[in-house]
Amino acid sequence: MDIFVQQLVNSLSVASVTILIGIGITLIFGLAGIVNFAHGEFLMVGGMATWFMVGAGMNFFVALVFAGLLVGALGFAAERCLFRFTLNRPMNGFIMSIGLSVILQHAIIRVFNEFQKSITDPVGLVWTIGGVDIIAMRAIVVAITAVIVAITYFGISRSRYGMALRASVSDRDTAELMGIPVRRYVTGVFIYGSLLAGIGGALMISLFPITPFTGSVIIIRGFAVSLIGGLGNVGGAVVGGLVLGLVDGLSAGYGYPEWTDAYSLVVMILILVLRPQGLLGGTLGPKAS
Amino acid sequence: MRQLGLGLTMAAAGLAMALQTARADEELPIGVIAAQSGSFVSAGNTIVGAANLAAQQINDAGGIKVGDKTYKIKLYIRDNRTDVNVSIAAARELVNDIGVKAIWGTETHDFSVSMAKITGPAKVLQFSGNSSLGAVLDDKAVADDGWLHYTFQSEPQEWQRSGSTAKGVLSLLTSQLKSPPKHSVVFVGNDATGQYLSSHYVKALEAEGQKVDLVQYPPDTTDFSPLLTRIKGMKPDIVHFWYNGDSTLTAFPQALKLGVAPSYFLFGVDPGIYQERSLKADVPVTLSCVPVCWGSSPFPEVKQYFEKYFGLGAAKGPQSSVSLLYYDYFFWYAKALEKVGKIDDPDAVVAELLKSDYKGVVSPVPLVFNKHHQVTFATEVCMVEPNTSDQFKCAVEQPPAAPPPGDNGG
Repeated sequence: MDIFVQQLVNSLSVASVTILIGIGITLIFGLAGIVNFAHGEFLMVGGMATWFMVGAGMNFFVALVFAGLLVGALGFAAERCLFRFTLNRPMNGFIMSIGLSVILQHAIIRVFNEFQKSITDPVGLVWTIGGVDIIAMRAIVVAITAVIVAITYFGISRSRYGMALRASVSDRDTAELMGIPVRRYVTGVFIYGSLLAGIGGALMISLFPITPFTGSVIIIRGFAVSLIGGLGNVGGAVVGGLVLGLVDGLSAGYGYPEWTDAYSLVVMILILVLRPQGLLGGTLGPKAS
Repeated sequence: MRQLGLGLTMAAAGLAMALQTARADEELPIGVIAAQSGSFVSAGNTIVGAANLAAQQINDAGGIKVGDKTYKIKLYIRDNRTDVNVSIAAARELVNDIGVKAIWGTETHDFSVSMAKITGPAKVLQFSGNSSLGAVLDDKAVADDGWLHYTFQSEPQEWQRSGSTAKGVLSLLTSQLKSPPKHSVVFVGNDATGQYLSSHYVKALEAEGQKVDLVQYPPDTTDFSPLLTRIKGMKPDIVHFWYNGDSTLTAFPQALKLGVAPSYFLFGVDPGIYQERSLKADVPVTLSCVPVCWGSSPFPEVKQYFEKYFGLGAAKGPQSSVSLLYYDYFFWYAKALEKVGKIDDPDAVVAELLKSDYKGVVSPVPLVFNKHHQVTFATEVCMVEPNTSDQFKCAVEQPPAAPPPGDNGG
């Protein structure tokens, strides 16, 4: 029983970073209409920046904020210099983002090196409750993720900005006629999604070492989460992340462990076949115009 | 007039000397195919680092004297971008367009085998540090007309490495545990190399009396906690993190936090990295390097080698020691060329390599190729004192004489 409860706790923490990157992707993909395959590398850059700042003596939680801001600025630059020119041709943007991901990987290798980077656990505590080991830093990651989810959810569903954004997705031309600065909103979403990737990278390196290639692995799960939940739907990304986390945790614990990734992807395929719009419904994603 | 004659004589002498120098500096083209980008870059860069150091040292020492000529090594380094197709294209270019005499590389079995299909027919020697080549290097393949006649495996056969590692790990840990360990879990990435390597290691542990469970994880896993929780439920005496140093460095701290086992073995994690990461465990932990450790080697030659290797700008990483799977063979190859007396007789060079030995850095015992073109050398296994990051006790374990029961030795 202890082991089963431990697996449930594990699943929750597995889900956290995935949810964070999933939200970034679901916003950028579903609302801004940009398929940014380099989003995983944005997360990696956030992690590497955190590693560098913590190594230079900065407190982890301060470094986390700076990592988010740095990657947000990177997102701003990428949107203004690159993706802005492909808004009407999403496939061009997608291919460009693959190139950007490779460039970012090798830029990091040049600046630092190719080897794995890690930091000391910023908290370093393990709580044992009823035979279940709860790693304090993981609990903090879950808490930070929950706060970010709440802020994002209410920002998108309740704020004027969020309503205007959703109106832009439904009908860009009408939204523009109503005076909504759609282009600026797209930039804003891109920056916010990138900022989340930066924070995700910082949280990730607090739990696991990362390499310049970490992003290319996690991006697949990020897209899976956003598609399972429904593009552009923050609540959907949370549900998608939890579904994948539970499938991962329980299949690793009780199934054939070497197939853990396959179980998650089978679940994703089944959901997309049965509910193409995702579990909670969402936008149709980017459209060429 | 006399002065003019003297001048002409001097000019002729100078020209003759220049020609002599030009002859003395003939080029020996050698190819290196390694990942300098893509996901294998940390292993690939070590091949390039070893090649650069060896070529520089050979050239600085005057080059290779073959017959009445002296050759300087000219390296042609190609990035395979961690892509088998790029490796094949690079091998074709090096063999057909540049005309290299030998190729060093590459990081992984599949790529090396693909390259051998190009180097073999062209009679270009290939040195590859993949123990899994043992699966294809057999009597037929290495025969005079075999497709791997010109390929040499510069890492010991896997049953040898597994055997010496298992023996070293168990011997170091037994003295630290309350009762002799009986139950081992081997935790390994589920890719082609992981499957091949763990199949030998499981047999080696069983031959040492261990009950072994094999738990495989998907490659690129970062959160190992569900799998480690499963292993904790198996109540093992030792968890052996096998094969991939990067994955091990990700999983091991998670295992410590979850208290998965009373002892651990980390394959491919150098004591230098253990120290650099400030890893610390309150239980006994053993480590082994491929093939010897840069962070704590008992051999002065190895220490000197790594000083020079890192001195050339190579980064310190879990795989830095892999460079020693490639370095010595430059000198051995040069020695074989000198003995044969010509650079254009690959069959004679192969024959010379097979009948000669070479005392290199990687092993205090001279290296020898067996009939399947494979070397044998010992494995270094270290134990870190509990609750420290920098106190190591290392031992060099010789490989067993024969494969364990159930291991066909391939």
